[in-house]
Amino acid sequence: MSIILVGVNHKTAPVEIRERLAFSDEACAEGLRRLVDGEVVREGLIVSTCNRVEILSATTTEQMESSAGRSAQFLDAAGQLPTGFLNKHLYSHTNEDAIRHLFRVASSLDSMVVGEPQVLGQVRHAYAIGVEAGTVGRTLNRLVHHTFRVAKRVRNETGIASNAVSISYMAVELGKKIFESLKGSTVLLVGGGEMAELAARHLVNAGAARTLIANRTEETARRLANEFGATTVAFDQLDQALSEADVVICSTGAPDYVLTESQARKGLERRRNRPTCFIDISVPRNIDPAVGKIPNVFLFDIDDLESVITSNIREREREAERAELIVQSEVMQFQQSLRLMDVGPTIGALREKMHEVARAEMARQRKRLGALTQEQETAIEALLTTTVNKISHPILNQMRRFYESNETDDLQQAKKNFDLEE
Amino acid sequence: MRSLLLAVLTAYLNAAIHFILAFVNKRRSVQRVAEWSTAIGFILHTGALVGDWVLDGHYPLFSLRETLSFLAWALVAVYALVLHRYRAQAVGAFSMPLISILTFISLLITPGPADAPASFSATRLFPIHTTLVIFAYAAFFIVFMASVMYLLQERELKLKTFSAIFHRLPPLTTVNELATNAAIVGLSLLTLGIATGMFWSWDRYGRFWHNDPKEIFALLTWLVYFVLIIYRLTANWRGSRAAWLGVIGFALVLCTLFGARFLGGYHVFGLIL
Repeated sequence: MSIILVGVNHKTAPVEIRERLAFSDEACAEGLRRLVDGEVVREGLIVSTCNRVEILSATTTEQMESSAGRSAQFLDAAGQLPTGFLNKHLYSHTNEDAIRHLFRVASSLDSMVVGEPQVLGQVRHAYAIGVEAGTVGRTLNRLVHHTFRVAKRVRNETGIASNAVSISYMAVELGKKIFESLKGSTVLLVGGGEMAELAARHLVNAGAARTLIANRTEETARRLANEFGATTVAFDQLDQALSEADVVICSTGAPDYVLTESQARKGLERRRNRPTCFIDISVPRNIDPAVGKIPNVFLFDIDDLESVITSNIREREREAERAELIVQSEVMQFQQSLRLMDVGPTIGALREKMHEVARAEMARQRKRLGALTQEQETAIEALLTTTVNKISHPILNQMRRFYESNETDDLQQAKKNFDLEE
Repeated sequence: MRSLLLAVLTAYLNAAIHFILAFVNKRRSVQRVAEWSTAIGFILHTGALVGDWVLDGHYPLFSLRETLSFLAWALVAVYALVLHRYRAQAVGAFSMPLISILTFISLLITPGPADAPASFSATRLFPIHTTLVIFAYAAFFIVFMASVMYLLQERELKLKTFSAIFHRLPPLTTVNELATNAAIVGLSLLTLGIATGMFWSWDRYGRFWHNDPKEIFALLTWLVYFVLIIYRLTANWRGSRAAWLGVIGFALVLCTLFGARFLGGYHVFGLIL
């Protein structure tokens, strides 16, 4: 079996094209049933996310070309585009390259943000739809399961997903670096704004138990309080809130400092010097920079966060290089197992055929042997089985070796010798 | 016992290398190799100590060679506790190299014939005194290490530049808690160690206190950790100031352990305790 992958991603096609191709779940299942005809395309599945639409298929080696062409046409049709329109955006990989591509996609090495965790779930989803539609066979089944393994390995053995690469997530990362866990911690959100709210949401998801909201507009405060199940705090009671908060996110439109050094000092004193993390994502800054000089207080403004993110992205890229090595070795391994999988049925068929010959001959000669004891019967059967096995063993081994070293011509010859053409 | 100790050293070195690799690469499989290697080394080491005890007929904590070996053993034991309680894997990368070095030096020293402290082991108090003190020092080493980890990270958090090492160290409050608890354990052991030493001395010489450098250093060490714990518990001192005390305290521990040897005095029996 050969594996073919045809598709577009964020690097090869603009969003105007990708959005035309995007498949809904139903369209995906329905399309798969049309695409997989059991002849040109034996097995197939569609990975459709906002950054990519890819058709993964398996077919016989002879049908490889026409199968790839069919997938491309299928995509043209799916986007209601003229045939061949997509050609300059499409990439088409076969066998080793297709396997590598899929491994890289699932390991999030091909993503816009390297290491983002969603893509593996999307591949999993695509697989589920394919299974549902009945278009995933033995080959793709194996490939996809191996893909999950590779993605897991990459995640566990490299740090491509370990450091935050967005401002909103930095709050969680810094929190975890200072406090062992965010479980049970208190978050104070001063002001509002999309990014600050997102950061607070991440903190709540990471286990923060209490959220305090301070906002000059009462309506916003109430809206946020509802959303987070939070408590609102009046601005003149900030001091009390500061003594309770482990993480403070500040983002107001105020033109000057909302939190001063003396406020932070007092708060820290009241919380008996337990560390506090201040995150100021407002411009102009709303937290006096002098706050950062207080012992046990850690203050990050928007520039600090940006620079950490830049270094985190670099770190991820370094880790991605290690991930590529893992992918490469896994590609080799999978190809090996694929070859063995291919040779499996052939070997089985050959062994079966030889045993069949022996059984038939035995049946023909049986009556000449006359009455036999049970013991003699068993002995004759054992004799036939071992003879067949001993003769076929070196031949089967030879075939296995042909497969492992990819000498398909020799293998075809061997198949012919035993009249085993599929 | 030398060949057994050589096997111990091999296991510890192997563990140290794997701990460092795991620290750099964050590979769990490598970490496991290191932990297993440590466990094997520890079991062999225990065997070697017991063997020494049986063969030499005295508690294996008297000469410099024995002290270093025992100290290494105690450090491994304490490290295992820390790993179990805090899952602070990074600790291994820091402590295992030191443990290997201690074992190596103790291997280099050829046992002298003068190691016959029959009069010392006659009383049970003496080995208890030395064991308590050694474990106290091992605990103080953990305090020192946690304090260094704290200071490294605090510095990076304040400067907002995170190096590769930053992401591999345990969180601030974890190392803070580790340092505090290790200091409490260390101080309790040291208190008991000093007390047993005094009783032993009373028993033998009729005096509690000899005013020798080791005793004075030990008392200073005790004071530093006492202050450290008091301040931590009253929560006025957290973070970097407490961490610096942990570092200073350990410098005193080193002075007590090795420095006093060169200053002479009552504790010098041609050995270091």
